[in-house]
Order: sequence, then C-alpha cells, then structure tokens
Amino acid sequence: MRQLGIVLIVAAIAGCGKAPVPAGNGAPRLRFAVIPKALDIPVFNYAKVGAEREAAARGNIDVIWRAPETADQLRQKEILESFITQKVDGIAISCLNGDFLTETINRAVDAGIPVTTWDADAPKSKRLAFYGVDDLAAGRILAEQAVSLLGGKGKIAIITSVGAFNLQRRLDGVKEVLGRHKDIQVVEVYDIKEDPVHCAEIIASGTNRYPDLAAWIAVGGWPVFTRNALDAVPARTKVISFDTIPPAPDLLKAGKVQVLLGQKYFGWGSESVRLLADIKAGKMPANPIIDSGVDVVTAANVDQYVIGWKALEKP
Amino acid sequence: MRTLWRVRELSTVAILVLEIAFFTWYLWPAGGRSHPFLNAANGLLVLKYSSIYGIAAVGAAIVIICGGIDLAPGAIIALSGVVAGGLFVDGHWGLASSAAAGLLAAMACGLLSAALIVLVGLPPFIATLGVMGIGRGVAFIITEGRYFDVSGALPPGWRLAGIPLDWTSPILMIGLALAFQILMTRFQWGRAVFAIGGNAVAARFSGVSVGLVQASVYLVSAALAGVSGIALTVVQGQGKADLAMGYELDIIASAVVGGASLSGGRGSVVGAVLGTLIFGVLRNALPQVPGATFYDRLIVGLVVIVIVVMDQLLQRRKGASS
Repeated sequence: MRQLGIVLIVAAIAGCGKAPVPAGNGAPRLRFAVIPKALDIPVFNYAKVGAEREAAARGNIDVIWRAPETADQLRQKEILESFITQKVDGIAISCLNGDFLTETINRAVDAGIPVTTWDADAPKSKRLAFYGVDDLAAGRILAEQAVSLLGGKGKIAIITSVGAFNLQRRLDGVKEVLGRHKDIQVVEVYDIKEDPVHCAEIIASGTNRYPDLAAWIAVGGWPVFTRNALDAVPARTKVISFDTIPPAPDLLKAGKVQVLLGQKYFGWGSESVRLLADIKAGKMPANPIIDSGVDVVTAANVDQYVIGWKALEKP
Repeated sequence: MRTLWRVRELSTVAILVLEIAFFTWYLWPAGGRSHPFLNAANGLLVLKYSSIYGIAAVGAAIVIICGGIDLAPGAIIALSGVVAGGLFVDGHWGLASSAAAGLLAAMACGLLSAALIVLVGLPPFIATLGVMGIGRGVAFIITEGRYFDVSGALPPGWRLAGIPLDWTSPILMIGLALAFQILMTRFQWGRAVFAIGGNAVAARFSGVSVGLVQASVYLVSAALAGVSGIALTVVQGQGKADLAMGYELDIIASAVVGGASLSGGRGSVVGAVLGTLIFGVLRNALPQVPGATFYDRLIVGLVVIVIVVMDQLLQRRKGASS
C-alpha cells in the first residue's frame, strides 16, 4: 500500500515539471546553473529575470535557477555539489559563506566547469570572475550619505546580518567612515539574521531603547523589503538603507527613508550568464573583479529611477 | 514481531527503490549526456548529505519509539561542531580530544533534556524545545558570529583512518544504524524502549526502570546528534553556530517516514536511516526537475503525508485481520 503512495507522489512530481526537452540537431545547448543565496530573498527574483532574459536573447542557453528555500549554507553547498555531479556547463553563485564554498568551487573549476560569483564572492576560491558591488566602497557611500544628512553628529544604529562576507565588507566600510567623525556615535550593530520580520522587531525595540537616535544605517535591504518595518521610526530619525527593490522607492517617496543604495539586480543574472557564455567561448574577462557600481537614490531622482526599473522588469 | 519489522523495512526500501527508479527515468538525459542523477558521484553525494540527518535520525527514532520527542538535534549538531571546531582551531587541541569535547557538550544537552523530562516532569516537547534554544544560544555565544575553519587547520588531503572524508559520515551512519538496530532488537534495553513506548505503566509493572530508560534515550539521541555535528564539522570543514538550523523537523520526519509511530512503541532505526535516504534522494533529484524550483517543499510535504497515511492504513488493516 505504501508503494501505491509513492506512485501517487511521483505522478504529482511528473505533473508539476516539464517533460525533458529532446536534443535538437544543432549545436548542443548550454546549461548554466544560477544559484542565489536563497529562494526567499526578494532581491534575487530580479536576478532570475535578468538571467532568463539574457539566456533567451542568446538562444542556446538554459538557465537552471536553484537555491535553498531559506539561507541554509549547508543546503547551498549540497546544491552546488549536485551541479558538479550533473556536469552542467557553468555555474554562477551568490555565496552565503564564501569560505565554506571555496573547496567545492575549486573542485568544480578543476573538473572543467567554469564558476563565477555574483553579489557575494568567494575571494579565496578559483572562481573565474565576480560581478557585484565593491562592498567596502558601497559601505563607505552609505556612511558618507548618513554623515551628510546628520551634519556630522548624532547617534547611529547599524543593521547587518552576520556571516556573509559581502555584508561584513559593507559594515567595515560604514565603520571606517563613521570612525573619522568624532561627533558620530555608533550605539549598536544589530544582527537581524537575514530576516526582515526580525529586522522590524529590532527597529521597534532599538527605537525605544535609543529615543534620540539620529539615524539607522542598514547594510542590507531588510528595512525596506516590507512597508511597515519602519513604522516605529520617528520623523527626526533618518534611514539610509541598501537596496531599491519595491516597495523601497515608495518608502522613499513617503519620507520613511532618505537614501537608498541600489545594486544591479537584473545585472546579477544577465551579466553572470554573459560572463559564463563568454568563458565557454574562450573569452576570459579582462579583470576577474567586475565592479557593478551602485545607484544612489534620493527624493531628487527616485521618479527617474522607477521609470528605468519598470523598463528592466519586463521579461 | 521480527518478521513484521523486516517486512516494514522492506516496504521502506521498496519506496526508496521506486523513487530512484522514477527519477532515473524522469531525468534520463537527452543528446547522449551522462545521467545527471544515476551516477556514482551523485550517489555518494546523496549519502554524504543524508548522513548528517541520518546519524541523528537513529537517535530520534529511538526517542520516538520510547514515546517521546526530541526537538534539539539540529541545535546539538551545531553546538558539538562549534565546540569541537573551536577547541581544534583556536584551542589547538588534538582532533580526537576536540571531538570528545564536542561529544561531551552534546551529551550535556542530552542529560539536561533527560533531567527536565524525568526529574522535573516537563513534557518532552517543551523540555527539548528549551534545550534546543540553549544549545543554539551557547553555540552563538562561543562563535560570536564567526566560524572555525577546521579544513584550514587539517593537513591537506587528510583522511580519517585512510578513508576519504566524503565517505566518513555515510560509513558512520550505516555502522551506527546497524549497531543500534541490534541493540534495539536483541538487548533488554531496546526491548524496554519498545515496552515503554507501547505502554509505560505496563512496562513499569513489568519491572522496567522507566525513568532510567527514558533518560538514556535522550542521552543517546543527543550523543548521536553530537556525532553528526562533529562529522559535519570535519567533513564540511567549518564549525558554525547557524549550521543545521531547523534540521530537527527533517530528522523527526525521516524517522516517521521510516516507520516510527509518534504514539510510541513502534519503529526501527534502520527504517529511520532509510527515511533520511528517501528525503536525501528527493532533495537531490527535485532541483533537477525542470520547473520544480518552487515546488520542493510542497512535494516533500506530500511525501511525508502520503507515506504516513498509507502506513497507518496498512497498520489498521493488519490490526483488523489479526
């Protein structure tokens, strides 16, 4: 009877997937695995759009978009290893923990599978290229924006998520700039564990704890991923946050946030596919570190930014 | 009774074989490519990652057979790895003594669970929920968000007793499953575990030291989670406080899919390991199914429900016919 159960389940699986595509007569299609940190982190949906658009434009590439459902480092490593055994044609990964993945990335490269990283790097690995922001520089920009808004004085609380190399670099950049201003005091560095709900809770409790807080700086986009995370923040407290995905521009227009730093979300996917396709064609990038730069979005340019965003969102 | 267990395990094996056969067929490659699922390297991969759950599932099954529940294995996996990794990397202890300390930390968690359940009388769900928080919390306090780079501290190409690292935890899983299967079926302790899970009052009147046996199963469960954590740290190369987050539910689900009854008195440790392999194959194969990226959890949930419902129907039919 239990065998009957498994038959029913496999029938369900067969129903949800697409039938395997038969081989064509032309050149073999390339299968690129694109692995974000997790499926439940909203910024990565735009990378998926970018990757699939670039693959469709090139015509001979299939993008396999896979990740852990939540930010589970071990599961991400398991997925990466599974793509090595599947012998995909290329892998582009945003690393939850670069050092943890270094040996596995090296194994993939040694096996002849080109690996690039995006968003979050594994700098000690043999990956062939990295596309993303210069996190140290981006952290500095966040802090400079805060210092400018506060006139060089006041109490600041920082929001981060401990563990990811890229977030640590941004935090280092923020601290470096703030450390140069003696009238700026960093009262807390909060670890919200990649959880926007926990972030809202931290912001509310931090606002109670420090009623004279001059600014929140978030090195990730957790405060602007939901519309109500900043409800507890009084108008006198400035908010400077990473990430510009919706609803962040609306929050900026509503005055809940003063500065947003946008990354090249669609580019994470499209540039990764382009890099892998070039590498497969024998064209290595001139520089393995490709700085995507950041978009500084304020009330002055938010409308223009939203117009550009909507154009990119179309598949 | 032993024949029945054997049949039950055979039916779990049959599910696993059917599952493998299905994915072999469904993922059959086009254009002469090598099979992405049915190859030796992928088989080892399934075993390697399943063993993290599987070693702990042996303990979880014993607890469930005894009529209890243990929510702490995920946290204990992280804690034992962090303790062993910290002492090995920062404390410059030997690997064996670091592993022993990690195991002791895990057993301390097991003792705490046992004391809360047997001496204080807390329900196992609450007691082990508390221990889960304590274990994870201590791991975070030790690491302060960092990790211990065990692979960096081990000599390059290091092997445990000549065994390639990737094979270590699967071998441990199989060895421990067989050892505990024998303990559960051929020794008085194992029979006492089944007796307590079936009817604790009757077991007490039969002369079984219920409290002692109950305490021992939580100690064994924690120790096995500790072994899993140490193996994870050595094989994967890092001791980190947020590893194995939420794994306790997968571990319990593996034991249940492998035939353990949450009402106690029924189950098998070999079945629990087979349950982890059923999930391991799903975890490995589903990401390869085109278009199934966001369906993984739904399908895994369906698997648990359908297998357990079918198992219950089978048990009822057997009960009615006997």
